[in-house]
Amino acid sequence: MAPSTAQPPAPAETPIEAPAGSEHTVRDPGWDVLVWNDPITLMSYVVLVFRRLFGYDFETATKLMLQVHHEGKAVVATQPREQAEVSVSRLHGFGLQATMGRG
Amino acid sequence: MAEVRKRRGRIQIILDADERAALVMIVGQLAPSLGQVRPTVPVAYDDPEFQAEYDRWVRPEIERSREADLDVIRDCIGSGEDVTVLTEEQALAWARGLNLLRITAGGIMGVEKDGWEQQADDAVRRSPEFRVLLALGLIQEELIAVLEG
Repeated sequence: MAPSTAQPPAPAETPIEAPAGSEHTVRDPGWDVLVWNDPITLMSYVVLVFRRLFGYDFETATKLMLQVHHEGKAVVATQPREQAEVSVSRLHGFGLQATMGRG
Repeated sequence: MAEVRKRRGRIQIILDADERAALVMIVGQLAPSLGQVRPTVPVAYDDPEFQAEYDRWVRPEIERSREADLDVIRDCIGSGEDVTVLTEEQALAWARGLNLLRITAGGIMGVEKDGWEQQADDAVRRSPEFRVLLALGLIQEELIAVLEG
């Protein structure tokens, strides 16, 4: 990811979607939503997207962004398949590299 | 110089005539490559069958939403006004649209590794795509700061 010169963090805003992981069942252990590093997307933008889509606070979103940046990828949510697919499609709408796989 | 600010809860984007003209050209040149250049192709699954389903049922909606984001930018830069007031959703559409344009430009340039800004040689630095990446990035940073502020 490309470095940012973003301003200091602000309080978390109302999330568009509920945080992941609340719908695990024994029958559906969930699908991992993965975000992959790309060299163009700004770090501050990735944090914004994680906060808006998953409702993460700034610290959690930043930690996940840095994991993507340093390790090449991060699991940003684990959800039932349909919900994970919606998350991935929204991440694609934001222009992030995202895939999903069985958790 | 392009500026994004928040005044009394209203987001404003300020672009002079030259900046709007440059953006019209950038959007016109890059938008056709959106969804064609590899980093902009939405790939969700390793499994080819699942991916085929995704391409059939989900990708069209992604492409519609991307086009809608670019339309928000087109409307603004085609307004003839230096100052445009944006709703929060329109500002988000701008941020998404600029990101898509940037990764399209980066895909055309063949950028694959972090640190491309520092490693670029003089020829790359003079290329239109490189300048587009930097210019759009500056506007995007300002939008993000306002949206997070």
